[in-house]
Amino acid sequence: MTTLTTDPPRNGLSPLERAYARLGVVLITPTILVFLLVIVYPLLAALYLSVFQIYTPTLQGGFVGADNYIELLTGKAFWSSLRVTIVWTVGTLTLQIVAGVGIALLLHQNIWFRSLARSLVLFPYFLSTVVAVLVWKWLFNDLYGALNQGLMQLGIIDMPLDWLGSMPNAMIGVILVGAWKYFPFVVIAVLARLQTIPENLYEAARIDGAGPIARFWDVTLPQLRSILTVIILLRAIWDFKEFDLLYLLTGGGPVTSTQTLSLLVYQEAFGLNQMGQAAAYSVGMMLVMLVFMVLYIRQTKEKA
Amino acid sequence: MANVIFKDVHKRFGSFVALEKLDLDIHDGEFVALLGPSGCGKSTTLRMLAGLEFPTSGEIRIGDRVINDLAPGKRDIAMVFQSYALYPHMTVGENIAYPLKKRGIKGKARAEAVQKAAELLQLEALLDRKPKQLSGGQQQRVALGRALVRDPQVFLLDEPLSNLDAKLRSYMRAELIELHARLGKTMVYVTHDQLEAMTMANRIAVMHGGRVQQFDTPDAIYNRPANRFVAGFIGTPPMNQIDGTAEGDHIVISGHRIPFNRADFVDSLADGPVVLGVRPEFVAIGSGDGLPATVRLAENTGHETIVTLELPDQTRISARVEAARKLDVGQKVALRFDPAAIHLFEASENGTRLNLDETPAAVIPMRAK
Ligand SMILES: Nc1ncnc2c1ncn2[C@@H]1O[C@H](COP(=O)(O)OP(=O)(O)OP(=O)(O)O)[C@@H](O)[C@H]1O
Ligand SMILES: [Mg+2]
Repeated sequence: MTTLTTDPPRNGLSPLERAYARLGVVLITPTILVFLLVIVYPLLAALYLSVFQIYTPTLQGGFVGADNYIELLTGKAFWSSLRVTIVWTVGTLTLQIVAGVGIALLLHQNIWFRSLARSLVLFPYFLSTVVAVLVWKWLFNDLYGALNQGLMQLGIIDMPLDWLGSMPNAMIGVILVGAWKYFPFVVIAVLARLQTIPENLYEAARIDGAGPIARFWDVTLPQLRSILTVIILLRAIWDFKEFDLLYLLTGGGPVTSTQTLSLLVYQEAFGLNQMGQAAAYSVGMMLVMLVFMVLYIRQTKEKA
Repeated sequence: MANVIFKDVHKRFGSFVALEKLDLDIHDGEFVALLGPSGCGKSTTLRMLAGLEFPTSGEIRIGDRVINDLAPGKRDIAMVFQSYALYPHMTVGENIAYPLKKRGIKGKARAEAVQKAAELLQLEALLDRKPKQLSGGQQQRVALGRALVRDPQVFLLDEPLSNLDAKLRSYMRAELIELHARLGKTMVYVTHDQLEAMTMANRIAVMHGGRVQQFDTPDAIYNRPANRFVAGFIGTPPMNQIDGTAEGDHIVISGHRIPFNRADFVDSLADGPVVLGVRPEFVAIGSGDGLPATVRLAENTGHETIVTLELPDQTRISARVEAARKLDVGQKVALRFDPAAIHLFEASENGTRLNLDETPAAVIPMRAK
């Protein structure tokens, strides 16, 4: 730094540029270290574990090569859980999006309870999953649950339904609770975008003869498209790997009919104490999620 | 017939009175400018005509239809917004076609209408672009295209040129004048730029504080301003207004007596305080006999010099002289006003003009009607 003017540029970089590059490296080092520690190491560990047969409590076991993967491919467990995961993800995500966009549109209107409603809507998202699930379990209870009570009084059903203990009710139940818990995320993201759409566009559309529905399709929706893509991809990834809500609500049951891949991995690792097989399942799960990830990265790159 | 009538229209936002007793009668095919300072209610007037705001009371008519309660899409109007308001995800072609699409015009008829509008505005080469890929002037033309594609009865334009640079603005001004001549449609044009209003409009409604101050031809607005506000708003620099006292057939300013022809003014003009108005081009700077003044500033614009002068009572007035004229700051001069160019106003805040008209000749070229 003392000989700023005499130094001939090396690698086509001026001394100042080189100093900046060094500073850059220093600044990103902590991030890279944390990344290696919490992402790369567990990933490599999982890959390593997945070629052993390991008894979880002792973490002892022998090398089995591709056996765990052969079990994954030929056995029923992985594929049936994958099917359950897809049903759960598509179901709850669809509801989240529809309810989220609908309520965001509603809250965007000038209604008198708007500011109150805007804060209330966040409530499920902030609520701890354990608390939320406890409340919902009571609501769903077949003997004294308010849900059955209400449906019976409305005359929609005449016998109490077994909500979480039978199919397809259990799947419908978790999908509903998942949608209830996570739609606020959609509301907030969509509402933020709605507020940036210029009012002039709606006025122009009204003058051009567009009614409320045409204005939604021709002005609102195109403006929401990019944010919706991001929301859908993010929520798809998060719902796909959702664990606590499902584990607490049904534990995967009845039998395995709501056992998603996360629950399968957990069951294999800590229920059946097969850490190696569990690791193989989690690697399989990760490969499926890679698809969403690639889509997400593509989408966000496009915008930049 | 597409004349536009505002009859006794009032508009309040809550307790705030935005427009008061608005009466306008805009003729079929006329180009009318709404001109006034920021916040005077120009946009509100236009938006009520568009159906984007509703009058608190009064009646708005297009032709023989009362349109107070009609939806914007049913009024047979088209509007160009200051921000253009182009649909960002649609191409230029789709933007222009949109009003037709929403009115159920399909296929060949629609394509032809879009083609015609695009030709008129020289947009043919841009039809497949998105608004983001256009310059400000091009976006402006697309907004115009979307307005004129379906041949509405009345065009509404809210400061359509204010986002353009000076050169493009004067070009678009000429384009709009030509377009109006070609289409012969009623146009209502909001602007706070007096040059735009003076050069483009058949008539100008000068607005201030929610009221129309004067609604007349550019010539009349300039030469026979209805009151002190209009006199002080139009012209660069605007008309000088000097406090004085009427005494017989003289106006006394700072003890100096200026003769005027009493027969040119209304009978009600009594002795006492008045405001003398004179345009800068009718202030003659000389020496010897005249209203004494000191030169404070001389701004040479190239083809003329605007001189700011100070009277003994500290009133500042401006004069327009030829560029070659040399005047030094601090120089003592004597001013004379062309008696035929003198306006008198009531001495109140926004006093009315007291002349019996047909007085001064226009000195700015007017647009042929
Ligand atoms: N929706 C509204 N609510 C309350 N006040 C409003 C509303 N719209 C306009 N106003 C007020 O009415 C007055 C006139 O507004 P308007 O937009 O017509 O002004 P303008 O003449 O177009 O001014 P500008 O040249 O700045 O566009 C302003 O004082 C404005 O603050
Ligand atoms: Mg305005």
